[in-house]
Amino acid sequence: MSHCRKRCKRQLIKVARYFYRFLTGTLTQDSIEDDFELSTVCHRPEGLEKLQEQTKFTKKELQVLYRGFKNECPSGVVNEDTFKIIYSQFFPQGDSSTYAHFLFEAFDTNKNGSVSFEDFVIGLSIILRGTINDRLNWAFNLYDLNKDGCITKEEMLDIMKSIYDMMGKYTYPCMQEDAPREHVENFFQKMDRNNDGVVTIDEFIESCQKDENIMQSMQLFDNVI
Amino acid sequence: MAAGVAAWLPFARAAAIGWMPVASAPMPPPPHDKRRSQEGFIILNVSGTKFQTWRNTLERYPDTLLGSTERDFFYHEETNEYFFDRDPDIFRHILNFYRTGKLHYPRHECISAYDEELAFFGIIPEIIGDCCYEEYKDRRRENTERIQDDEDNENGKEMTPPDMTMRQSMWRAFENPHTSTMALVFYYVTGFFIAVSVMANVVETVPCGTSFNRVKDVSCGERYALAFFCLDTACVMIFTVEYLLRLIAAPSRYKFVKSVMSIIDVVAIMPYYIGLVMTDNEDVSGAFVTLRVFRVFRIFKFSRHSAGLRILGYTLKSCASELGFLLFSLTMAIIIFATVMFYAEKGSNSSKFTSIPAAFWYTIVTMTTLGYGDMVPKTIVGKIFGSICSLSGVLVIALPVPVIVSNFSRIYHQSQRAEKRRAQKKTRLSRIRAAKSGGANAYLQYKRNGLLADAEEEASKEAGKALVCKVNPTFETQHHHLLHCLEKTTNHEFVDEQTYETSCMEVSMVKPSTSRSSSVSSSPHGLTSCCSRRNKRKSFNVPNSNMTSGRRGSVQELSTIQIRERPLTNSRSSLNAKFQETMPLNSEQPPYITAAIISMPTPPVTTPEGGDFQSNIVRVSAL
Repeated sequence: MSHCRKRCKRQLIKVARYFYRFLTGTLTQDSIEDDFELSTVCHRPEGLEKLQEQTKFTKKELQVLYRGFKNECPSGVVNEDTFKIIYSQFFPQGDSSTYAHFLFEAFDTNKNGSVSFEDFVIGLSIILRGTINDRLNWAFNLYDLNKDGCITKEEMLDIMKSIYDMMGKYTYPCMQEDAPREHVENFFQKMDRNNDGVVTIDEFIESCQKDENIMQSMQLFDNVI
Repeated sequence: MAAGVAAWLPFARAAAIGWMPVASAPMPPPPHDKRRSQEGFIILNVSGTKFQTWRNTLERYPDTLLGSTERDFFYHEETNEYFFDRDPDIFRHILNFYRTGKLHYPRHECISAYDEELAFFGIIPEIIGDCCYEEYKDRRRENTERIQDDEDNENGKEMTPPDMTMRQSMWRAFENPHTSTMALVFYYVTGFFIAVSVMANVVETVPCGTSFNRVKDVSCGERYALAFFCLDTACVMIFTVEYLLRLIAAPSRYKFVKSVMSIIDVVAIMPYYIGLVMTDNEDVSGAFVTLRVFRVFRIFKFSRHSAGLRILGYTLKSCASELGFLLFSLTMAIIIFATVMFYAEKGSNSSKFTSIPAAFWYTIVTMTTLGYGDMVPKTIVGKIFGSICSLSGVLVIALPVPVIVSNFSRIYHQSQRAEKRRAQKKTRLSRIRAAKSGGANAYLQYKRNGLLADAEEEASKEAGKALVCKVNPTFETQHHHLLHCLEKTTNHEFVDEQTYETSCMEVSMVKPSTSRSSSVSSSPHGLTSCCSRRNKRKSFNVPNSNMTSGRRGSVQELSTIQIRERPLTNSRSSLNAKFQETMPLNSEQPPYITAAIISMPTPPVTTPEGGDFQSNIVRVSAL
């Protein structure tokens, strides 16, 4: 009951303020003041020691990472749009927004729509400092869009299209319509052992471990930072 | 690539893990980090004020003094710092540019001092942030105008280009009378005759005393008819000659004839000729004499030389809607009050308010506070409403004046700001386009560097002629490696627009009938777009050519300088006979483009490329 009364009072005050502003001719200033309250969301990461325990980065590396992170996102969290903008600066020729979206989903482990520094650094730690199996697991998690434990052909096609989108239009040879689909067929031929149309985590890891190229490319990430 | 996101490059490279299991080809080896962890401070001593920053911060912009090895010239061994004998206040802004990626212009600083500092530290002023760009451009323009004025006063006016035709120089003389003495003389003569003819028109109507056989006064025009006629003839001769000369000299005669000024000229001299033709018919010629009034509008010709008058005219033209509204509201008020006054005064018997239109006159005279007194209300009700009418008249008339004044100043400032914004937009768009294409071109350039033995040595050798010494920073090589991985994953390569179109043309020529018809009807990508985009090649090249104008710039710009200077010998020799038909395509390019052909012995899609991708593809791209 008191809640109702409070709301009534607030509405009345609003109406009175509106009329006052109408008479004194300062009607339009209302909208500007309301906007200022939204933008001061701030997030501070946990302490350096705690992050050091959770990830495999050294203190110096964490410092460097945080400084870069904070520079682009002073508020301490990345939302999806900022994420897309940052990622698109590395791929000026194509459209990287879909792949960035999938990445965002993969980094945002607690599904709250924003990536904090902890999420960021934990994800990076797995990719850059984890074992080969960890990395493969992370990649599988990236591909599995609905997180149900298996990759279907449609999911893989989405991922493949997003990767090909990043190339843009000016490629050699000219990008054909069915290039992603063909690629997905090759992928499934290689990965899907029991030919049931989906790739499970075990099939994925097993097939990757058998492939020399993939194993070798996984080692690329050892000295990124 | 913005400096801020350079810090995110490790993340972007880590995100490439998504491509690895999917790729069918092996990935290229990662680049060596030649300078590992350049962490550490740099101390910059600028005239005693010490600035400290991370080494990485300065290296974000490797083509400036502080980011390149040029700063080693200023290294001071004993104190282990870099000493610059420059202004520390301005240096603060320059250092902030490295930190935040935005260059600001302090309003209280002198523009030439600021420009000098920027030039010293190798920063181009075009990257000044939007917040300060307008101010900077304003000050710069004022400065150049001031310098220009000083120069003009010193040199006099010797600026006539020697190769102008007679017609062009005549037109120029008409448009700008102060360019030559002849034009000035002509200008003053015509002005004098305009004034003379206007004076003659005025004096003609003055009563000049009685003639010997008339009762009333005659006007001077009738008394000295011959003299006035001769004067009029002389003036009209001058005006006719001037109009004909302008007509001859005009670059576009049709446009000249349509312009307002020429219409006024014609209207001014027509009555005389028409009067010559029909001298016998008294009243018609009288009507045409009145048309000579239009000659007074010649005074508006002076607006050609006064910008303020031009703006005033433009304001009135653009305030037409406000003026129209004023007129409309006035009309409404007049009708309302006239009606009220008519019905109020209807009762009084000797009232002058015979009808509502008759009451209009009273309302107008009252509202503009003239009050002639020829019509006055006599009833009490009429007087009450009459006073309300005069009070509201004051308000209604006084209201629009500030509106028009503020409109004038608004339009004046708006025209200034619109010009600035247009210039800014163009540069901003070209900057964005340049950065985008520059980023792609940097990668293509890097690939070409990878073909030869030692990338860095080659780059520095070629760049020896350039103004600033530059070395590819670590993050650029890492970025290029990332793009290379993407190419390997998808088995397609990044190319620029030129090469893409030529390759498309090859494809379309190989499959002539079917693909051509399908390309005409539908538009997926590839075939149609490249054919339709042939005309737009120039637009892609222009930003590059702007970049290669020899200025210092970012790495992307310098890499395009390198591309232009690269000799073509190794590429042309590998020309395939099969691709001769694409030659005519390249021959029609403008001269600054270096033509290129791609020859590809085998299709790359199925064969896995090893680390040795030099042998399969010889690639020269055209810019």
